[in-house]
Amino acid sequence: MSLIVEGLSIHGPEGCIVRDVGFTARPGEPMVLLGETGSGKSLVAQAVMGVLPAGLRAEGRILLDGQDLLALSARERRGLWGRRIAMLPQEPWSALDPTMRAFGQVEEVHRLVRGRPAAEAAGAARADLARLGLATAARRYPFELSGGMNQRVALAATHAAGAPVLIADEPTKGLDAAMRDTAAALLLGEAREGRILLVITHDVVLAGYLGGEAVVMLEGQAVESGPLRQLLAAPRHEYTRRLVAADPARWASWPARPVPGGRALVEGRGLHKRLGGRELFGGLTLEVAAGEVLAVSGPSGCGKTTLGNMLLGLARPDAGEVRRRPDLGPLSFQKLYQDPMAAFPPTGTLGQALTELLRRHAIPRAPAEALMRRLRLTEVLLGRRADQVSGGQLQRFGLLRALLLKPALLFADEATSRLDPVTQQEVMDLLREVVAEQGTALLVVTHEEALAAKVAGRVVHLAPQVVGLSPDGVPEAALAL
Amino acid sequence: MRALSPLLRLLGGRLAQAGLVALLVGSACFLMVRTLPGDMAYRIAASRYGYDLVDTAAARAVHAELGLDRPWYVQLAGWFGDLARLDLGTSLASGEKVLEKLGIELGHTLLLAGVALALSALIGLPLGALAGLRAGSALDRAALVGAAALRAVPSFVLGVGLMILLAAEWNLLPAGGVGEWEEVILPALTLALGLAAASSRVTRDAVAAVVASPFFGFARAKGLGDGLAFRRHGVRNAAIPVVSYLTLQMVLLVEGVVVVEALFAWPGIGHALVHAVLGRDIPVVQGAALVMGLLFVLLNTAADLACWSLDPRRRA
Repeated sequence: MSLIVEGLSIHGPEGCIVRDVGFTARPGEPMVLLGETGSGKSLVAQAVMGVLPAGLRAEGRILLDGQDLLALSARERRGLWGRRIAMLPQEPWSALDPTMRAFGQVEEVHRLVRGRPAAEAAGAARADLARLGLATAARRYPFELSGGMNQRVALAATHAAGAPVLIADEPTKGLDAAMRDTAAALLLGEAREGRILLVITHDVVLAGYLGGEAVVMLEGQAVESGPLRQLLAAPRHEYTRRLVAADPARWASWPARPVPGGRALVEGRGLHKRLGGRELFGGLTLEVAAGEVLAVSGPSGCGKTTLGNMLLGLARPDAGEVRRRPDLGPLSFQKLYQDPMAAFPPTGTLGQALTELLRRHAIPRAPAEALMRRLRLTEVLLGRRADQVSGGQLQRFGLLRALLLKPALLFADEATSRLDPVTQQEVMDLLREVVAEQGTALLVVTHEEALAAKVAGRVVHLAPQVVGLSPDGVPEAALAL
Repeated sequence: MRALSPLLRLLGGRLAQAGLVALLVGSACFLMVRTLPGDMAYRIAASRYGYDLVDTAAARAVHAELGLDRPWYVQLAGWFGDLARLDLGTSLASGEKVLEKLGIELGHTLLLAGVALALSALIGLPLGALAGLRAGSALDRAALVGAAALRAVPSFVLGVGLMILLAAEWNLLPAGGVGEWEEVILPALTLALGLAAASSRVTRDAVAAVVASPFFGFARAKGLGDGLAFRRHGVRNAAIPVVSYLTLQMVLLVEGVVVVEALFAWPGIGHALVHAVLGRDIPVVQGAALVMGLLFVLLNTAADLACWSLDPRRRA
């Protein structure tokens, strides 16, 4: 049994998007496609599954046990779904039917796809769920389960029809470190059971955990391939080297900055906050000094963003007090948002947004343009809308917008968590340089412990909330959205 | 127990709403009829004896008999006192018990509304679902144009149009009357077309959203065929917004009933209401409006319960 991709090219209306990609995936040994957003790695997965977006066309050969999938009709390819090739959904909590219990979503595959009798299907579904530690979750609806549990329900449903090939496209997107490890262990388990596993990711940590073989993709082409561990230990291609180096664990620590002393910019004393019936923190005290880099880290749902918002005055503590230095106005505290797309107006150009800002705060054009150059933002981008620039560029615009107000403290709320690793590193490097130049204190909120440790002089670790903890150690509220 | 309390809260809320409806509708009708121009006693006498036979003496007699010279708040308090004993009073015009009169009329109205709802479901839901499954197709666009046109035509114009076409020109259905099953079809169809125009679009949007949703894509990727995936994961999820919308449609229905009953001389509550307003028959106006208001609350409760059973998230 094998899955062989040979000379796969994918053409769109504007030409060739993926050129001449090939690999062989064997049972038991994960096959990882590594690359950044736009490298075409997801298109390869979609071509294997047969779900390329309309207008795209695949050429070459995709051989599953010697049968060329690209030669099959759309109907014949549908027939393979679930039975021969299965695809793990990208965001399990939205891929499960919100109005059906976990049990039903697994059971129906045994009964309706494999055609087993009802009693047998029910037994098989119960066994599947129990094997993944979900026996108690069977009667629950997705919204009653944690993100990690939903992920396992989706996995059980995905392979219930017994497909020997499992494709996982960005399986760790949006997950914190603990959930990423859980997901990786589950995938590895699938491979060890003798399945062909094809994983698409930009996450070097996940790739390293999975092992097996890898193809590194850049701009639609395979730039390097080979056994993963070897490839990560001694990357040959320049891009692979950058990708490996972009793992926060491998970053150089940020140099400690001289802290001038004097009164703290902001101090929180005895902060209490409850959210959704859970106590996030009871009696937390911390302060941010001028010019300091402070990180707050912890798993999703532990309240780290809420803490930052309280220090900025965007949220109120239930008890305790937050005191900001009296000589600083509200504009001296700025925030860099996690999702830059949501922080810019969807209509209108970035240039218009910038002009508005300069007028509103009477900032002359020249220093703004100087800072733009410093942030490596070109004039051309000013004519574009937020959705017409890359995530990294947009976040740098967010940075520009915040820094033009000369804040004393900048709160970077998971500011790079949605960016590709290489872009994340670039943005963080730039952030380090400009806040140092401007003497701005930085509050970094992140779910990545490694990143927090590298950037900050001090790290505040918020523990996962004991009250809301689900059996697999994932905070219930983490992905309840 | 955990699932019971939101349900009780829902039902309790609706019960309180029913009480408020009784209070507001009763008072508002009373005050509105009192402020209508013209002498009330004359109008009542006219509806009893006919316009030609009314004179000042007859009006004065009516005035005295009904105690119309009592202060308005005494009269209103009297009505609420009777309501508490489930007595809606007697018609000023005919002397019938309002409750009995409305009971018969309510039966007619419920028949009309029921047939109209069923027809609108038969027309609107499948058409909307088809348009949603083929969003952007020629069928979808044609359905949009049809629905917009139907919604734009007021129900009295639609009713007259249907009468001319189906009753007068083609002689397929009777234009009026009550008793035979054919007679309900034309007024019900008039109501149903307006309702279906709106509900088909809501259904279309709900189905299109479900089909485009990640969970529907996942259902297909699991190996379920399109038909199975739609039956297992499409219908229930699309039904939630559609049923919620039907709640809003009840306003259209209750409102439409008044117009359509008057138009087709269908002896229901709406018809009775219009006549009672003209005859200044306050107890009947209050009673009919009250029954329609309570009917509205009841239909809303039914829609709430349907949503409650469809969507587990509401039960949490």
